[in-house]
Amino acid sequence: MKNKEYLLHLLAEISNYILDSEPHRMVISLHQEPDGMHLAVMDDNKRPDEELEAMSKALNSSARPELAEYYGSMGGSDLLGTARLNIIGWQIKRADVGRIAEGTKIDLWLGSDRFDSSNFSIPKDE
Amino acid sequence: MLAYEKNVYRLLFICIGVFLLFALLADGIAGSAHGFLTLQLHAARLINDYTVVGSSGGALLNAAVMGLLSLGLIKLSGVRLSGPTVAATLTIMGFSLFGKTPLNALPIVLGVFLASRLAHKPFRSYLLMALFGTALGPLVSFIAFESGIGGLGMIILGIVAGAIAGFILPALAMAMLRMHEGFNLYNIGLTCGFFGLFAASVLEGARRDVSITIIWNSEPRLELILLVPLLSLLFIIWGAVSDGRKLGKNLKAMLKLSGRLPSDFMESISPGSALFNAGALGLVGSAYLMLIGADINGPVIGSLLTVMGFATFGKHARNTWPLAVGVILATLLFGKSLTAPGPVLALLFATTLAPLAGEFGPLVGIAAGFVHLLVVERSAAWHGGLDLYNNGFAGGLTATLFVALIQWVKAIKNQ
Repeated sequence: MKNKEYLLHLLAEISNYILDSEPHRMVISLHQEPDGMHLAVMDDNKRPDEELEAMSKALNSSARPELAEYYGSMGGSDLLGTARLNIIGWQIKRADVGRIAEGTKIDLWLGSDRFDSSNFSIPKDE
Repeated sequence: MLAYEKNVYRLLFICIGVFLLFALLADGIAGSAHGFLTLQLHAARLINDYTVVGSSGGALLNAAVMGLLSLGLIKLSGVRLSGPTVAATLTIMGFSLFGKTPLNALPIVLGVFLASRLAHKPFRSYLLMALFGTALGPLVSFIAFESGIGGLGMIILGIVAGAIAGFILPALAMAMLRMHEGFNLYNIGLTCGFFGLFAASVLEGARRDVSITIIWNSEPRLELILLVPLLSLLFIIWGAVSDGRKLGKNLKAMLKLSGRLPSDFMESISPGSALFNAGALGLVGSAYLMLIGADINGPVIGSLLTVMGFATFGKHARNTWPLAVGVILATLLFGKSLTAPGPVLALLFATTLAPLAGEFGPLVGIAAGFVHLLVVERSAAWHGGLDLYNNGFAGGLTATLFVALIQWVKAIKNQ
């Protein structure tokens, strides 16, 4: 897998966020797609609608290259304060946040600059 | 370009217009132009008050030109005019009253641009580092005009040195960020101070004098005294009109944020409340300075403009007052004057540590402000005044100290 450092930053930051809510179970799945990576994170914490909405908003924040490159490097290494999902949001192509039977699932789609969603296993809208 | 950006561009162009108008009022066209040219060839290390060196008009004209250059770079690189870029523009304009000039800033920008090319990144990804990195402008001016050699060769050498410094800056800036984990808003200040330690060592090794001298305007003109209160009122009105009835609710939401880097209030809250916040902090800062009878000169206006800029990118009333109290306590306890250059600038610039107070409460903020004053009074000598953001350097060291201690205490509690 390429960009090991980038992935480790994202993994650590998203783990930091999930662990803040003290789950009993956290599952992280990372797989290579034709044009990037797909990272899925699940826990057993049932979050209210407002939090899911806030998470989705932060993770799908608009492109901020000037912040992503500079401050993005802080992701996962700034464990003193609260975890910040917008740092992840600036560095990824898309995120889906939703409920699963036992808790919450976050899908992060990390594409290259040539990102083409058709290359990813993004679920089709129902 | 987003709709609100046009509005913010308009506001900043008006600010630049006010600078130009005040330059004309102070020294006329010829006087301001002459002052401006004088500044380009002058030393820039801390603390050279350009309102003395190049006249008030020349300094204001220099700040206006630098503001236009900054906005031009932001527009050209396609980056949004938002919290961080507004902070960068106002900071650059402020520091152009005591150190930055187009001649000493552009080589740094060139160096960062070359670094972005080498890293195969678009320049916009490195833009903030390029804009804030102009804090190392005095390195260019020192080699070109202060080294005691002179001539075109030294000007070229200064430009090359600036470009090299800019080239190294991105790598250092990202590393420094992880030291204080975003609790020092002026991260490039820490970065440039760190680099400045090496640069000053090399210059001293070459038997150049990098001792600190202070040129300080103790009789500022009325135009200078009125500048920040006027701009603050403009920001307050502009912000209030932009947000309308939502202003109160938005300001309340802003005060809940810690302000830790990167906190773009324009994006996370609203552009109007961020501008209102900038005006409010500028006005409170000006009122305090007038109350104690401080000299409102180039460096002091620069620090007020920096506070205003960062009020869109991390600072607000709740997370800044503890720092100011800490600085005042240290000043009084150690028998210093509240109106002396060091404490005046430290009080305003100590708000670089606002995220510490925002995240860990006012007591930590007061302690951080107290320590900051003591560190900042020494740190300029370490880098020979080559880093214009000396308070960012001292703030970064203070933040690192507090972050390490808090982390240790937290780890013990968790055991």
